[in-house]
Amino acid sequence: MIKQTFRVADMSCSNCAMKLESLEDSLDGVKEINASYHKLSMTVEYDETRLTAAQIVEAVKRKGYTAVPA
Amino acid sequence: MTKQQNPFSDPVVLVTLGVVLVAVAFALLIFQPSGAQTIAPASGAWAQIVVAFVTGLTTGGLSCLAVQGGLLASSLAHQIEQDFLAHAPKTHPKKHAKKIESVPAPHANSALPIFLFLVAKVAAYTLLGALLGWLGSFLSLSPMTRAFLMIAIGIFMIGNALRMFNVHPIFRYFSIEPPKFITRYIRRTAKGADTFTPLFLGALTVFIPCGVTQAMMATALGTGSALMGAALMLAFTLGTSPVFFALAWLTTTLGAKLEKFFMRFVAAVVLIFGFVTLDSGLNLIGSPLSLQNLTRAWFAPSSASAPALDADGSLTVNVQNQGYFPRTLRAAADTAFTLDLVTNETYSCARDFVIPSLNFYQLLPASGTVQVNIPPQPAGTKLFFTCSMGMYTGQIVFE
Repeated sequence: MIKQTFRVADMSCSNCAMKLESLEDSLDGVKEINASYHKLSMTVEYDETRLTAAQIVEAVKRKGYTAVPA
Repeated sequence: MTKQQNPFSDPVVLVTLGVVLVAVAFALLIFQPSGAQTIAPASGAWAQIVVAFVTGLTTGGLSCLAVQGGLLASSLAHQIEQDFLAHAPKTHPKKHAKKIESVPAPHANSALPIFLFLVAKVAAYTLLGALLGWLGSFLSLSPMTRAFLMIAIGIFMIGNALRMFNVHPIFRYFSIEPPKFITRYIRRTAKGADTFTPLFLGALTVFIPCGVTQAMMATALGTGSALMGAALMLAFTLGTSPVFFALAWLTTTLGAKLEKFFMRFVAAVVLIFGFVTLDSGLNLIGSPLSLQNLTRAWFAPSSASAPALDADGSLTVNVQNQGYFPRTLRAAADTAFTLDLVTNETYSCARDFVIPSLNFYQLLPASGTVQVNIPPQPAGTKLFFTCSMGMYTGQIVFE
């Protein structure tokens, strides 16, 4: 398990953070996601053997946002 | 896009029309000349309810949808999935039921979950308004406390509007982030498939209020009355309902660009309300920096509207539903005198008369005269007076 922080600059309200956290339910290998509109960032704890940072970035993109590894 | 049907055969349209009719009926009730005893139609409280309703009708719906649309989509997901299965059994419906952007225009069977969601939302916010108003009653011990609360509310609204305009990152902190355990609980509950789910999710929207709703909640807190708080939130959420419904229905056709345009409109309205609330708070503490007190000099009344003392050594202010007349009075410095406050069928908040610097507050009778002893004041002093909501103001200039 690793923890990685991504910057998501295009969040516009706290609901965006909720949407990003919902990836917990759909991304295999994710243990926990903490997204913050205040900080415009999300921290993902995931199993690096089952998931890559690129896959997370892609999943975030499907939600309508742009994530950049911090 | 989906093919067009006769709109009146769609229960969603019918429910929407029903909600619009309820909203219109509520609006008519508001403007009715006779009404409740505790919230008189001509009172400032009534004006607040009208403002809350119109705010909901004009800006709240879109703002709420932006934040709570996901929950509504979740409420509809199961129904839409069933509709989809019924119409296209060979495809994979779950893919189409996950996100708001993939939610098609609601079908006939979507009417019930939308309706339940909205009913629960209105009920929950009304209760929340009552709770906030009740809590506010412990805070509104004096006009001064109310003034500071209004100033705080005004700053909060302005901060939220500037956040929506994306002026500076610091304004993001004006948005309240619900605790993670709540958002996670809501998200997991949203997967439910029973008819209870929309009701429950509608009620849960109180935990994820949009910026405009937060501002309205702050206003409900400032009312200091459970009844008024409930009425305010009821009017607001009822006002949001038609727009919420219509936009939910048009979710698939409302492009992101158009939504951004509306959000800027919402931000502009919140900004205006924020400044008005802040200004009212400043009036209530008797600040010369309020917009009304600053600009009064520009529209300075002629000597005709600034009368000298009456023969008996008093000054008279006519307290009317539209405010205080004259708005500027002149008095001799270093001389005590009596201020006669004359009401005549006055029911607006102008009756709640406040002189902040003298710490004087009195609810005037609807008709009659109340005398206030004004102590001597040095030359150049401006004694501001206002209603308890900071809406109507006036001043006595000592020279």
